[in-house]
Amino acid sequence: MIRNVQLIARRGWEQASIFHQRFRQVIPWATALLAVALAVAAPQLWLGDYWQHVFAIAYFYAVLSAGWSLLSGHAGQFSFGHMAFMAIGAYTTGLLGRYLGLSPWLGIVAGTLMAAVVGLGIGLLVLRLRAAYLALFTIAFSEILRIILRSEPQVTRGDQGLRVAPLFGETLSRVPYYYLMFGLLLVCLALMMWLTRSRVGLYLRAIREDEDAAAARGVDVVRYKILVFVVTSAMAGLMGTVFAHYTAVLTPSILVLSQTGLVIAMAILGGVESLVAAALGGIIVQVGLELLREFGAWRMVIFGALLVFTLRFARNGLLAPVLERILGSGPRAESKREASPHAT
Amino acid sequence: MEYFLSMCVIGLIMGIIYALMALGLTLIFSILHVVNFAHGEFYMLGGYLMIEVLKQLVGLHPLAAVPIVGVLVGLLGWAFERFLLRPMHQGKIERPGEYAVLITFGLSFFLINLALAIFGPLPHRPPAFFEGSVDLGVIKVASDRLTASLVALVLLLGLLLLIQRTWLGKALRAVSQDKEAAAVVGINPLVMNSVAFALGAGLAAVSGALLASTFSVEPTVGAGPSTRSYVIVVLGGMGSVPGSIVGSLLIGLVESFAVGYFPDPSRGLAYRSVFGLIIFALVLLLRPRGLFGRKEA
Repeated sequence: MIRNVQLIARRGWEQASIFHQRFRQVIPWATALLAVALAVAAPQLWLGDYWQHVFAIAYFYAVLSAGWSLLSGHAGQFSFGHMAFMAIGAYTTGLLGRYLGLSPWLGIVAGTLMAAVVGLGIGLLVLRLRAAYLALFTIAFSEILRIILRSEPQVTRGDQGLRVAPLFGETLSRVPYYYLMFGLLLVCLALMMWLTRSRVGLYLRAIREDEDAAAARGVDVVRYKILVFVVTSAMAGLMGTVFAHYTAVLTPSILVLSQTGLVIAMAILGGVESLVAAALGGIIVQVGLELLREFGAWRMVIFGALLVFTLRFARNGLLAPVLERILGSGPRAESKREASPHAT
Repeated sequence: MEYFLSMCVIGLIMGIIYALMALGLTLIFSILHVVNFAHGEFYMLGGYLMIEVLKQLVGLHPLAAVPIVGVLVGLLGWAFERFLLRPMHQGKIERPGEYAVLITFGLSFFLINLALAIFGPLPHRPPAFFEGSVDLGVIKVASDRLTASLVALVLLLGLLLLIQRTWLGKALRAVSQDKEAAAVVGINPLVMNSVAFALGAGLAAVSGALLASTFSVEPTVGAGPSTRSYVIVVLGGMGSVPGSIVGSLLIGLVESFAVGYFPDPSRGLAYRSVFGLIIFALVLLLRPRGLFGRKEA
């Protein structure tokens, strides 16, 4: 009798724990679905014009921030020229539209391809450069591009601004752009997560930890470094094209170094080792900046201080650990623990 | 010929001022093996502090304010090194190379936005050192620029003496060559790290203070001088003191000639920093250790 009870109890416990495990596997998907549903419903239910705009821009930054975290956090390729690729996409579609009358949708394709091609070129050039040297080279690249865009006003309109045709006709509604930006965020994020969870993700982290050792173990370092450059550049370019058609006016100030700085800050505050955290970092920082508007320029000072604090005391970012706690440890969290026993 | 000579003079004058900032970067790199991505922001702070110091101490000659500015920013550099970079050298931080890039970049982000919050986005300008201009035979040079260049020259010579002739200089060189060996003979590498960073930050601030009246100051003003310093130290060879001096003079000359002989003068001026950046990209790609760099750099 007692034995039976014990048996049943144990059975129940086992089943509960199996259920628990299954449940834990479901949590990330459920949370993601819920988040997507909320984001899709938001413009209809809660958000006015102004906040639709804020979130559209936030999704734009989220893709850039996640892209930077793939390039730098996962693959360890420190680029300070991320916004340059965004600008290449933006100006490609802008200039093609202005001079050849190319339709915006074809411009988006052209801009994305252009950013990918330039990303391929830069990726090939910087193969030999490591850490600080790569950062220096990408700063130089970004600055050269910005100065050229500024100094050729008869072509690019310089600081006066290049007018770009809207995507959805002369409508004032932000809704289509909101959904487009959000859709692109989902697609880009899904693609990058698929990359990091496949073998490629492992290769990239191996390259980050020790390039020579990775090469010695048979990782085709050249191929994957270039792959990650092309993918992240193309995504930055794609977002740039949509951004161009959304804001309708382009100036070279979109690629000043402090813009790149903002994207990097978003990724670091979120957590460079998790794409979702980096993307959320982008959204939260952008929305946070809007909410704190009354503090004026001081809110950026606060973010700057927070950035330095995060780098020193929370290398994995502020959101990534929270996400991990809520969603349970993902494969990335585990590999990270293996890779770095002395995590701060 | 006259035109050629005048371009040479301008190039050298600017080159000497560039050298001051580049040498600060070199000093930091050779001792700490850190590329300081906040170097331009120390320059920017130098400019703003120049204005503030002159505002607070009425009647002070601008030249006398320069050392005060240097010391103040040097102290800031010391504090930053002590609290945010030292843990890296004590092995408390994983992937120190990445950390160094990001933390100095984070400092730069913070300082730019701090300046934006305090001083606003518009350019400011401190009073000039001396009014008017000086005739050097081939060309007239604004006396402010000449003063800046002379002060920079004096400082450079003083710095070289410090590095070559004093105990501190010897200790710094020892640490840059071999940290462990230096520690064995009783030099604390951690202290030398702080000294080098403070010196480097101070030098950047001094060049900012010297050029503030010529080019004026705004929160993002550091981007130009700092990228130029990166160009110079990479050209000269990371961590090489003679390399960064030669590199500065070369870049000064390249900029001056490129601007002077560019077919369209106004566009030439706009592209001034691009010429250096192209050299930079080429050096990085073809000979990353620069002219005088060590093999490992």
